[in-house]
Amino acid sequence: MSHGDTIPLHSSAQSDIDEIETLINAAPVLPARPPSPPRASIPISSSPFIPSNLPNKPPSAPPPTPPALPPISSATSGGGGIASDGFGSQSNTLTEPVWDTVKRDLLRIVSNLKLVVFPNPNREDPGKALRDWDLWGPFFFIVFLGLTLSWSASVKKSEVFAVAFAVLAAGAIILTLNVLLLGGHIIFFQSLSLLGYCLFPLDVGALICMLKDNVILKIIVVAVTLAWSSWAAYPFMSAAVAPGRKALALYPVFLLYVSIGFLIIAID
Amino acid sequence: MDEGYNSLPSTHLLGSVPAVVADDKKPAVDEARTGSHSNLHIFPPANGGYQAPGTPYDGNEQATTNWKGVLSISSYSPYFNVDTDNVVDRILSSMNPLQGDFRRKIDSYPDLYGPVWISTTLVFMLAALGNCGTYLMNRKSVPDTAWVFDVNYVNWAASVVYGYALLVPVAFYFLLQYFGCSASLTRFWCLWGYSLFIFIPSSLLLVFPDEFLRWLIILVAGAASSVFIGINLKSYTEGSDMMVMCVCAMVLQFVLALFIKFFFYA
Repeated sequence: MSHGDTIPLHSSAQSDIDEIETLINAAPVLPARPPSPPRASIPISSSPFIPSNLPNKPPSAPPPTPPALPPISSATSGGGGIASDGFGSQSNTLTEPVWDTVKRDLLRIVSNLKLVVFPNPNREDPGKALRDWDLWGPFFFIVFLGLTLSWSASVKKSEVFAVAFAVLAAGAIILTLNVLLLGGHIIFFQSLSLLGYCLFPLDVGALICMLKDNVILKIIVVAVTLAWSSWAAYPFMSAAVAPGRKALALYPVFLLYVSIGFLIIAID
Repeated sequence: MDEGYNSLPSTHLLGSVPAVVADDKKPAVDEARTGSHSNLHIFPPANGGYQAPGTPYDGNEQATTNWKGVLSISSYSPYFNVDTDNVVDRILSSMNPLQGDFRRKIDSYPDLYGPVWISTTLVFMLAALGNCGTYLMNRKSVPDTAWVFDVNYVNWAASVVYGYALLVPVAFYFLLQYFGCSASLTRFWCLWGYSLFIFIPSSLLLVFPDEFLRWLIILVAGAASSVFIGINLKSYTEGSDMMVMCVCAMVLQFVLALFIKFFFYA
C-alpha cells in the first residue's frame, strides 16, 4: 500500500474499517439535502488516509454499487472514492452534468434571496438565516447593477460600469471592516454575501429606471427600493454589534445604498 | 499555566457565529476605555493584538514587533471604541466652536470613526450636490441646459477631502513636534475630521442657485470651522507662543471652504 507512512493500525481496527466499508457500499446513504461541494468545515470522511483492503482484493465482498463511479485502481483515490460514494457527493460533482451544478447553485441563490430580502420568520435570528452563504449571488447582482447602469448611460459607459463595480465591491468590504472595528461579531464572507444579496431591490429599481426615463418616476422607484434594501440589511447588521453602536454600524450601509440610488437617478 | 490561557487575546478570532451582544459587553467596554487610553497616541498600534487591561498579557508582550500590529484588524479596535451618543455629542460640539470643550471630550479616547465617515459623507455630498447646484445655476442663465453628471466631481471631491483630512494633521503634528509642543496624531486626525462636519449641511444649503446666499453660507461655515480649529489647536500649543501655527491652520480651513464654493458650486 502506498500509505506506508501512516500510523499502523491495531489489527481489530482494520477489520472494523472493512466491515464499515462493506456496510457503506451495500446501501449508499443519500444525504438529506442536495450535496454541496465541501466548504470551510470539518471533513466528514477520514478514510482516505486509512489503508483499505477492499479495492485490491478479489471481490469477496460485493463490489461498489453505483455504476457511475469508474473503477478506481490507485489506492490514494480508492479510499476517498469509496468513502464518498456512500455520502454520494464528492466525486460525483466532477462527473455530474453541468446543468446539475448550475441548478444547485441557482437554487441556493434563490433560497438565500428568500431568506434575506423577503419577509420570512427566520429573519429575526440572523445566526440561522444565511448559514449557507455563497458569493455567486452577490457577484451576479453587482455585475447586473453595473451593466444596467452602464446601459442607461449615454456617454462614458465603461467608466460608469467601473465606478459602480468598484464602489459596490469596495463598499461591501469597508462596511464589513467597519463592523469588525466597532467590536462586532460577524464572519467576513457571510457579511459580504449578505450585503450583496441586499442589493437585489436596487437591481430591480435600476432595471425599471432603465426602461422608463421619467425623473419623478425614477425618484419614487429609487426611494422605494432603497427603503426595501435598508430594511433587508437592518436585522443582520444591528444584531452584529453592541446595542449602543447600532446606528454607527447601520449609517455606512445607508450611505452606500443612498449613493448607489443617486447614481441610478443621475445617470441619464 | 492555566492563567496564561485565560489572558490570551481572543478578539482577533472573529470567526464566531453572529450573536446579539447584550449587557455583558458594556462593563468590558468601559474598562477597556479607561485602561488602555494611554496607548492611543501611538499610531500605528504597537502591540500584536487587542490588549485587555489588567491582565498579565500587558507586561509580557511589550516587546512585540511593530509590523504585526499594523496588519491585524483587532489592534485598530481601540480607535473605534465609541458609542452612538459619543459620536453625536462630538459632532454637536464641533458645530458650536466657541464653547471650546471639544478637546476635553476627545482627550481620553479619540476615535477615528468620525473622521473616516464624515469625510466619506462629505465626498459623496459634494459630488452629488455639486452637480445639482451647477445644473440649477446653469439653468437659471440658459433655460434649456441638459442634466449632465460630471464624474470628475467625484474624483476631485475624493482627492481634496481625503487628502486634506489625512495630510494636514500629519503636517501639523510634525511641525508641533519640531517646535517642542506635545502633539498626538490621532487627536489631530480626530479634530480635523470633526471640523469637516459643518460642510455637510452647508453643501446641502449651497444648492440654492442664488449667488449672494451661497457666498453668505460658505463664509459663515468657513468661519465657524476655522474658529473651531483655531481654538482647539491653541489648547494644544499652550506652553509656547505658537499663534502663527494656529493662524495658519485657520487660514487653510478657510481656503478649503472657498475651494468648495469655487469648484463645486460654480
